[in-house]
Amino acid sequence: MFNIPKEKEVPLGCVTPAPVTEQPMMITGNWREYRPVLEPEKCDLCMNCVVFCPDACFQLDEAGEMVVLNEKYCKGCNICINECATDALTKAYELDFDDGVVRLEKPF
Amino acid sequence: MATEMMLSGCAASAQAAKMAQVEVICSYPIRPYSAIMMELSKMVANGELDAEFVHGEGEHAQLSVVLGAAAAGARALTGSSGVGVTYAFETYSPIAGGRIPLQMMIADRALDPPGDFGSEHTDAMSCRDQGWLMGWAETPQEAFDNCLINYRVGEDHRVLLPQFVCQDGYFVSHITGKVMLPDQNQVDEFLPPYNLPHPLDPKHPVSHGPQIRPDQGTIMDMQRAQAMLDAPAVIKEVIDDYNRIFGRNYSPFVEEYMTEDAEIAFFIMGAHTMTARHAVKHLRDQGVKIGLVKLRFVRPWPTQDVADALSKFKAVGVVETSTSYGGAMRGGNLLHEVRASLYDLPQRPLTTSFMAGLGGEMVPLKEFYYMADILSKAVKDGKTKKTVYWVGFEAED
Repeated sequence: MFNIPKEKEVPLGCVTPAPVTEQPMMITGNWREYRPVLEPEKCDLCMNCVVFCPDACFQLDEAGEMVVLNEKYCKGCNICINECATDALTKAYELDFDDGVVRLEKPF
Repeated sequence: MATEMMLSGCAASAQAAKMAQVEVICSYPIRPYSAIMMELSKMVANGELDAEFVHGEGEHAQLSVVLGAAAAGARALTGSSGVGVTYAFETYSPIAGGRIPLQMMIADRALDPPGDFGSEHTDAMSCRDQGWLMGWAETPQEAFDNCLINYRVGEDHRVLLPQFVCQDGYFVSHITGKVMLPDQNQVDEFLPPYNLPHPLDPKHPVSHGPQIRPDQGTIMDMQRAQAMLDAPAVIKEVIDDYNRIFGRNYSPFVEEYMTEDAEIAFFIMGAHTMTARHAVKHLRDQGVKIGLVKLRFVRPWPTQDVADALSKFKAVGVVETSTSYGGAMRGGNLLHEVRASLYDLPQRPLTTSFMAGLGGEMVPLKEFYYMADILSKAVKDGKTKKTVYWVGFEAED
């Protein structure tokens, strides 16, 4: 009876595959007002950001040498900045970035 | 062999749940529904029923427990009454939206204030628009039958919706009536094992209830709306099957009594239907052309069936056992739906609502006679004076 465009389809009861590291149906990075910015030279890999991020946006890079932020899902809560043991993370206004998500119609 | 027993509505409901072989039950006490849990806990303790019996710390927890159980692939049952029903309100939409077909038995109790323990449909009726199937039983037998019927309809993959299986507190829940208990093999023939298409399963992991974007919300709502649109055809099919297997004579949505050549009629659901039927019989003996239409499902609302059944009368009195303060008709909720069902008809009967049986009061025969009088007067005058009468408390008429 209903005509639902392909790109708007939602699975029955919104049951989604798991486990996944990224949920393409629910990108939250464009909610962000402030972006956490990492200064790698100050980071001592305490991993507080990895543990405290409520959306698991911080992960170790492939070499296991540095933490990286998944900007697609970072909502800008800045908990990581509070928890960083070495002040390696600082907050920056999203609008100040050329690729700031709030500037984009389709951010990702 | 089917056996006949004298059972209260609560005991009959528990027997039905046992025969449906529910696997997880979650209880929290509130009268009058708690007698259902009392019976079930005995069955589990005596080894007659192999089910997990969990005590919730409140109604919100009860619903959350059975949601988890049913999502994991177990046939689940819970229940409540009155303020217990409303305490769990938050959980109703996610359960229906997640398409988890668990069952909640409600034995009605008036909402507070103050702590009135009498029966009134307002508790369940307040939850009617969340995407749950909903209907009332008139007798313990119907309470038994509705449990099985609702599990089958709700679990059908064309529907997949949870079910409020309601009975009036005390009038049905605590008064014994004759109940035909079928054979287990009849129940097994009617009700296939619980089979959720999207269960939580460690071998095939999925996420239930993720956050969604606003633009996905409409689609989720449409899924539920579609299930409600598809449900009536399934209900008809299931009732046919039920009648065949158990030798009953249910019509799926509305049941008529003495409606042939009737000019006026009561529209009613639940326990007081029994008294109304006696009133109709007595009035017929006195030459009043009156009939009765009983509603079996409030959700999905059987718009066409109601229109077909009521269009032949000159005046219809909707007996409300629930409140809708400030609503369009100033009375209960049923008249809103009845009038909406009749709107497109070229010729509509006069309609009014009768507030009766609120707070758990009885609706004695003389009140039905009073209602019939008002309907007869309306036919004579060609109009109804008011859209709502508080039966027993009106200054005139």
